[in-house]
Amino acid sequence: MSRKVAGAAAVIALLAGLTACGGGSDAGDAQTLTFWMYQPRTPQAGQIYEDLRKGFEKANNVKVKYVQIAKDDYNTKLSSAIASGTAPDAGVLDQPLVSRFALDKTIVAVPDGTITESAFYKGALDTNLSEGKLFGLPLDQTTVGLFYNKKLVPTPPKTWDELKQISTQVHQADSKIAGIVVPKGDGYGAWMWPGFVAGAGGEMTDDANKKVLFDQQPAVDTLQMWVDLLPSSPRQITDADNAFANGLAAMMVSGPWDVANIKDQFPDLDFNVAPLPYKTEPAGNIGGENGVVFSTSKNTALAWKFLQYITNDANNAKFADAFGGYPTNIKAAEQTAATIEPQQAAFLEQLKVAHARPAVPQWIQVNDEIIAPALEKALSGKATAQQALTEAADKTRSLLGWNS
Amino acid sequence: MASPVLADRPAATPDGPGRRRRPGFGRRDHLVGWLLITPALIYFVAFLLYPAIAALYYSFTDWNLRSAPNWVGLANYTDLLFDDVKYPHFWKSVQVSLIYTVIAVPLTLVAALGQALLINAIRRGSNLFRLLLFLPVVTAEAAVGAIWRWLYDPQYGLINAVLGWFGIPPQNWLNNPDLVIPALAFIAAWQCGISMIIYLAGLKGIPLSLREAAIIDGAGPVQRFRKVVLPMLRPTTFYLLVTGVIAALQVFGLVYVIFSAANKSVTGGPEQAGLTYVLHLYLFAFRYDAMGAACAMSFILLVFIMIITALQFKFVKQEAA
Repeated sequence: MSRKVAGAAAVIALLAGLTACGGGSDAGDAQTLTFWMYQPRTPQAGQIYEDLRKGFEKANNVKVKYVQIAKDDYNTKLSSAIASGTAPDAGVLDQPLVSRFALDKTIVAVPDGTITESAFYKGALDTNLSEGKLFGLPLDQTTVGLFYNKKLVPTPPKTWDELKQISTQVHQADSKIAGIVVPKGDGYGAWMWPGFVAGAGGEMTDDANKKVLFDQQPAVDTLQMWVDLLPSSPRQITDADNAFANGLAAMMVSGPWDVANIKDQFPDLDFNVAPLPYKTEPAGNIGGENGVVFSTSKNTALAWKFLQYITNDANNAKFADAFGGYPTNIKAAEQTAATIEPQQAAFLEQLKVAHARPAVPQWIQVNDEIIAPALEKALSGKATAQQALTEAADKTRSLLGWNS
Repeated sequence: MASPVLADRPAATPDGPGRRRRPGFGRRDHLVGWLLITPALIYFVAFLLYPAIAALYYSFTDWNLRSAPNWVGLANYTDLLFDDVKYPHFWKSVQVSLIYTVIAVPLTLVAALGQALLINAIRRGSNLFRLLLFLPVVTAEAAVGAIWRWLYDPQYGLINAVLGWFGIPPQNWLNNPDLVIPALAFIAAWQCGISMIIYLAGLKGIPLSLREAAIIDGAGPVQRFRKVVLPMLRPTTFYLLVTGVIAALQVFGLVYVIFSAANKSVTGGPEQAGLTYVLHLYLFAFRYDAMGAACAMSFILLVFIMIITALQFKFVKQEAA
């Protein structure tokens, strides 16, 4: 009998324990600002965030609470928090999500007079637009450039013609070496492609007039240029693991994250980075994160103040560097430029002419499901560049309802 | 592990050995019983039943996780099946998963049976081999993905090196649309350890007398395998077939790891050749902001799996002969 009683008691204790684990969420009061961000990439980065937090707390006599979440889980967790009504006051948001969150009024527009727009890079600022209004402040930015192996490519190409020429020369000199790792027709390649299109004077869309433009000549020429690179850059070579770093490809298109990777894992590789080759004008794509304020916040004024603080002339360089990107604030970027490694300089230079992604809420889907397959279709020779892009642009018009 | 012996023997009770109690429980025991299963029930209701019902509800809504769900009736279902502007790769993903299942399931069964037969045949060290062959199952998916990307590497890969001995030219396994699914199915077959263990148990369950009788009747090893072993393993094979098909139709983790690590991109490999059904579903749920449609996809998959399973029960022989 006593056994049974003990058993029942144990079960009840277990249940009590379960329920006790449930509750407990702290709503931010006027003094505490909750800010969601990615987990620091390094202990040093974590320290920079801490120093910035303390500086802000001291100057304003408030508390800032960071919630740091692994980057891969961030968007999912943020969505869950919003759905369950526990969104933070402010947080970091991947650029293409801003127009989505703005559309369903999850985040609020930047109040007039919060920033001087001319203090920021235009490309980075534009990533905060939704229907012509800003919904966030750019925290950091990044882009892709042309990595080149200095032994194989003494002088990097500036134009598309030079790029094709060098690629051909490299492959002719040694058929085991590819000219360049040509981007793929996948979500990642489709993200880089608009940077090249802009280099031919083209645009992906005209958001204000609801027009899809990537079936026009500049975009077609761009895709054709990628196709033209393939004979001197066979996939059989460039699909190898780390083809560029292993010396199998003379050039590749990638971002600043690979500078650190290569230096760390392939210290013998003599390489540098140049801005992307262009047809008519220097240009590039852009990625990075923005700071936004959630509509459920009761501390919006303080939240904007904190976002101003981490994007101002004095702090943005530190914050962006800790994040793994470049400053979005022009004055802050000048500090970065003064101390930067040679391989990083090209990215910063190119960001001055970077073009933001279209501010269309469904853009990620268009990127992945329509543009990526179109690129692959042309690259694999199953359609011409013009055919693939005409079809893709029509599909995009139907999806977005831009049928004018 | 319940011992069947207990059922035959009345438990000793404080009421004394003489009085027989009705099987079952008294009222107080009832309460304790309920209390004991309550944690499991709470788990079931909170983490399985409720989410499943909620997902069914969301499948009839337009929902982006953030704002309130918007009732749209059957629109998600009809759009998924018929609107190739909104869901251009839905049928492609169905096709990819079906081809994967058709290749991976038989390959896994053959590999598992082969391994089980070998382990069953050797006298020494079978434990060691069982462990080695089981390792792929317990290896973290991310590590499996990394290893196989190396094995399939077009320049340095071991697979191409081995094929080279037989004069087969190097292939670009994970980047050639025609080879992606076979390459993935091969990894699944390599991870057949659980099926192998179940086959091994099935083999041990075949009475030795049958084997001896077959030998006396003059049956050679091939005949014994075809006429004795395979028919006796039929219930095992049927079980593995049904569960294998269900698992293959839901394949996700490995595909995700292989493509996101290789290309920094999760869009499913070259020309969507590796865009399996559940990867497609995942992208709509968490990348394209369409949780409602993703829920509808999961219920379409559920119904499809139920139909396939029912067909297997109807048309595949299950009893040992």
